[in-house]
Amino acid sequence: MGVGKKIRDWFEVRIGLDDFARVQFNEFRVPRNSNVFHTLGLVTVVAYLIQVITGILLLVYYTPHPDFAFKSVQEIMNTVSFGWLFRQMHVVGSSLMVIVVFLHMVSVFFMGGYKKPREMTWVMGGLMFLITLLFCLSGYLLPWTQLSYWATTVVTSFPTAFPLVGDFVSRVLRGGEYVTGITLGRFFALHVSILPPLFLFLMALHIFFVKRTGLSTPPFGLSSEQQSPWTEYRRETHPDGHPFYPYFVKKEIFMGMLYLTVMFFFVTFFPTLFLPEETNTPADPFRTPSQIRPEWYFLAPYQMLKLIPNKFIGITLQIILVAVFLLWPFLDTKKEPNILKRPILKTVFFLSLILLAVLTFWGHYR
Amino acid sequence: MRYLFLSLLMVLSLPLGSLAGYREEFEREFLSKPWAGEQVEEDACISCHVAEKMDPKFKNIPQSWKMSIHYQHNISCHHCHGGDPKDAEMSMSRARGFVGTPKYAEVPEFCGKCHVGILKNYLESGHGKALKSTGKGPNCVTCHGSHKDEQYIKKANIDIINERLCSKCHSYERAKIMKQALFLTEKKMGTLEESFKRLKAEGVYIEEEEKALFNIQAEFRTIFHTVDVSLVKERTDEFAKKLEPIEIKVKNTFHELWFRRNFSAFLMLLFAGMGLVVFVLSKPPRE
Amino acid sequence: MKRRKFLKVLLGLLGSATVVTFAYPLVKFLAPPEGESKTRKLVVKKSEIPIGEAKGFTYNNTPVIVINRPDKGFIALSKVCTHLGCLVTYERGKKILLCPCHAGVYDIEGNVVSGPPPKPLQKFPVRVEGENVVVG
Repeated sequence: MGVGKKIRDWFEVRIGLDDFARVQFNEFRVPRNSNVFHTLGLVTVVAYLIQVITGILLLVYYTPHPDFAFKSVQEIMNTVSFGWLFRQMHVVGSSLMVIVVFLHMVSVFFMGGYKKPREMTWVMGGLMFLITLLFCLSGYLLPWTQLSYWATTVVTSFPTAFPLVGDFVSRVLRGGEYVTGITLGRFFALHVSILPPLFLFLMALHIFFVKRTGLSTPPFGLSSEQQSPWTEYRRETHPDGHPFYPYFVKKEIFMGMLYLTVMFFFVTFFPTLFLPEETNTPADPFRTPSQIRPEWYFLAPYQMLKLIPNKFIGITLQIILVAVFLLWPFLDTKKEPNILKRPILKTVFFLSLILLAVLTFWGHYR
Repeated sequence: MRYLFLSLLMVLSLPLGSLAGYREEFEREFLSKPWAGEQVEEDACISCHVAEKMDPKFKNIPQSWKMSIHYQHNISCHHCHGGDPKDAEMSMSRARGFVGTPKYAEVPEFCGKCHVGILKNYLESGHGKALKSTGKGPNCVTCHGSHKDEQYIKKANIDIINERLCSKCHSYERAKIMKQALFLTEKKMGTLEESFKRLKAEGVYIEEEEKALFNIQAEFRTIFHTVDVSLVKERTDEFAKKLEPIEIKVKNTFHELWFRRNFSAFLMLLFAGMGLVVFVLSKPPRE
Repeated sequence: MKRRKFLKVLLGLLGSATVVTFAYPLVKFLAPPEGESKTRKLVVKKSEIPIGEAKGFTYNNTPVIVINRPDKGFIALSKVCTHLGCLVTYERGKKILLCPCHAGVYDIEGNVVSGPPPKPLQKFPVRVEGENVVVG
């Protein structure tokens, strides 16, 4: 008897490993016409895990105090063996994770995967997207560079556009009138101990829902009498679909490798793409750099705010857009799952993507 | 359902929008300032000297100052000329230490308030002694400029020693020998500065090395102010040697960057290779 | 089938190479730094520095100055000015450390008194052991 078989038998007797593996991997099927976009969810999990692991490693050497933060990051980059490797992975990974989450969201939207009975999955995913952005925002301050400090000052001044509560919210965020070591403390706590378990919790629920209902079928090329009305719980088992293992697992591994290749492409050839000159200068509260710009993923909302003359309306509009985005499955209850057959929605969808791209480029080159 | 939701959102945002109207004035004031809570300092000196009413002789001073190396290091009017920049009435008051434009022979002490080491060497030099005994001779402004007319105070460099400037009072011979003695060491320092710029662009933080270089540069250039040819010739090699540890460190840093690039390229190729293999494996076998 | 087997072996090889390529940096990253700086200490005889005087040395490649303060004993400060890096000089009469480049002034505790320096001078731990003053 081989060692492998002995180990498997040990587990089989205790937790019914064979049965579990069969149900999770063989019987769980993906739709016949599933495409590579279906793997993006797992790529997001991989991205998140990389962030967590590199983040924990950075935590070993980082000091969250304004007098030491910058220096500790420099030491990680220059003194600690291979510290540069993990920091670069973390920095590049944060931007790549935003892209992957965004692509995942867009493809789910495009394939109508948010419709009944999957509304809760969408809401949780939307919340996770917002938490990802919060991760990025809080993490950005931690190296305590000129760019960190001033970009954070700008972002934490957004709430002041609200009457009555605005100033209070801004002061709570900053821990005072200006961005100081107190701000660093709270952002650090948020980034390291509050957001990760929250994200994990949502992720667990999200995956549970996905498996419980079964993967959604892309609506393209199928007749529109796809769904009978959803009146009671049932699971989409895709009996004519591909088994999860090995078919889909191989696809997912491929996408994971692709993600890592892209990450190391940036680390090798463009190590300073996300680390411009102002990130190599310690924060100076008395000297504003000539160009304060948030990171690329915030450029679109930032540009939009600059365009709308009344700050209050600008921010309210953005909040409304976020609410619409989060609660979209409840606003769009049409039964037709194929977006290509819905000209208005299709147009709005593509126009929004184009607008997002335009605003981002505009915000960058301004 | 969705119409109800949307309309609720619209209705609720209306009263908040009306409240915004009361803040219109605040917004206008707020809008004109930058988004950030930047501490913008009022400078009484600048605001008068750029005003329309100001005598044209003094009007281009702020502009010339903004081009200077002092401005780049946050040195402002009152740091040299005294006075109170926050209070227009007291901005030129003797009580607040205002000294105005220094007289020709007092310029070295004026600049020497900060540039202490250089003042010492200058006073011991032929130039300093000439100025103090005869009232004639080069002072700091002669070579380094001030904010008069079209001049501005640039960062010190070796070309301040040139024939046009130095032959005003005597032959250029001695200055030429000194410039030649300084040349190689200055070139090395220039190369190091360039390397620092490149390293900074690559994300390396080199504060310690920058400080060490600055110290050597400062000491080196201070010696020049003695205008003692033999001293400079003697010591120029000594300073070139002092630069060596920094040069070695810079070389090592570039090597480290090369290693990092190759290491991550290797990892990238590993991942690309695995992705390719998995891709090929995922295709159904051709039997 | 042979091709598939080859590919699987290749995948295994690449996978192990990746694991090793990450394992080595990980181990080095977490390993404690070599205590090179701990072994070198600067030892000076107390008699070399009378009260009120100071003397310059090199410690860990940094120029330091050890001052025998009249009332508080020995202190070791880095001579590197925190402004732009020039070396400060000790002015015994005024009990200050003066930077000749831009007139930065520190007291004998290393704190900034006037001028452009943004931070106090770096301090090093000092112990008196018998006849010696030990820095570091």
